[in-house]
Amino acid sequence: MTIQEQMRKGTTTVIILNLLADADRPMYGYEIIQELERRSQSSFHFKEGLIYPRLHELERQGLLHAEWRGEEGGRRRKFYTITDAGRRRLERELQGWRTLTAQVNRLLGVEGEP
Amino acid sequence: MSGIEELLARLRAQMDLDAETEHEVLAEIRDHLEEAVAQARAAGLDERAALAQAVARLGLEEVGRELQAAHAGWGTADAVIAAGLPVLCALVLRWLAFAPDGTALGWPQLLSRPAFWIVALGMLLIPLLKFERWRYALAIWVLFWGLTVLFVALPALHW
Repeated sequence: MTIQEQMRKGTTTVIILNLLADADRPMYGYEIIQELERRSQSSFHFKEGLIYPRLHELERQGLLHAEWRGEEGGRRRKFYTITDAGRRRLERELQGWRTLTAQVNRLLGVEGEP
Repeated sequence: MSGIEELLARLRAQMDLDAETEHEVLAEIRDHLEEAVAQARAAGLDERAALAQAVARLGLEEVGRELQAAHAGWGTADAVIAAGLPVLCALVLRWLAFAPDGTALGWPQLLSRPAFWIVALGMLLIPLLKFERWRYALAIWVLFWGLTVLFVALPALHW
């Protein structure tokens, strides 16, 4: 896996966790994609389908809970909610992100967050 | 076959998953495509263009590859639980089934021990809760009972 692929995978994971923690309600895959696009004002481009492998990995890791909802024979959707373990992981990831960006900003001589 | 069904067939051909997982994955992607197409149609595209746009945004090739990678194989923790739990539980049962002098206890004495029920319940619930798929849990139970026969039942018969 290339560095770019690893970065994309890592950032997508934390972005999904952050979105679901923020929304604090169950969301399905397409809805998550639409919301990410809306929040990023279409500046965050990725193949939409790549959200699903990440959602499934997070589900397997117990960071998301997934549940199929809908009527039998009608439209059924898989809804995801963040678990307590997911919230703890998100907090760790965000802390790591803040530390990393602060360090890089210092190295680049860029004004960081106050 | 509709356009979406053709795409799902292409996606299915890229993956080698158990039937239940494959069914769920394809249902989720179908839902995605149907909604994306409906949205594109509402924006004025015809059926063909709407489907083409939905597929381009989805990234069919990459999705198939990454879904396969996400679902193929177990993580280290899964493998340890799947292999280690039945062995551990069977060994605990063996320890419970034999008195300190090495003679085998009868079923009434064994069943009266809370530890027996804790092991039995743990062996029943942990695989089911951990793996969710009943087939995986069943495979682990089969391994557990096989080991129990080997470690506990057969030695007890010889006493």
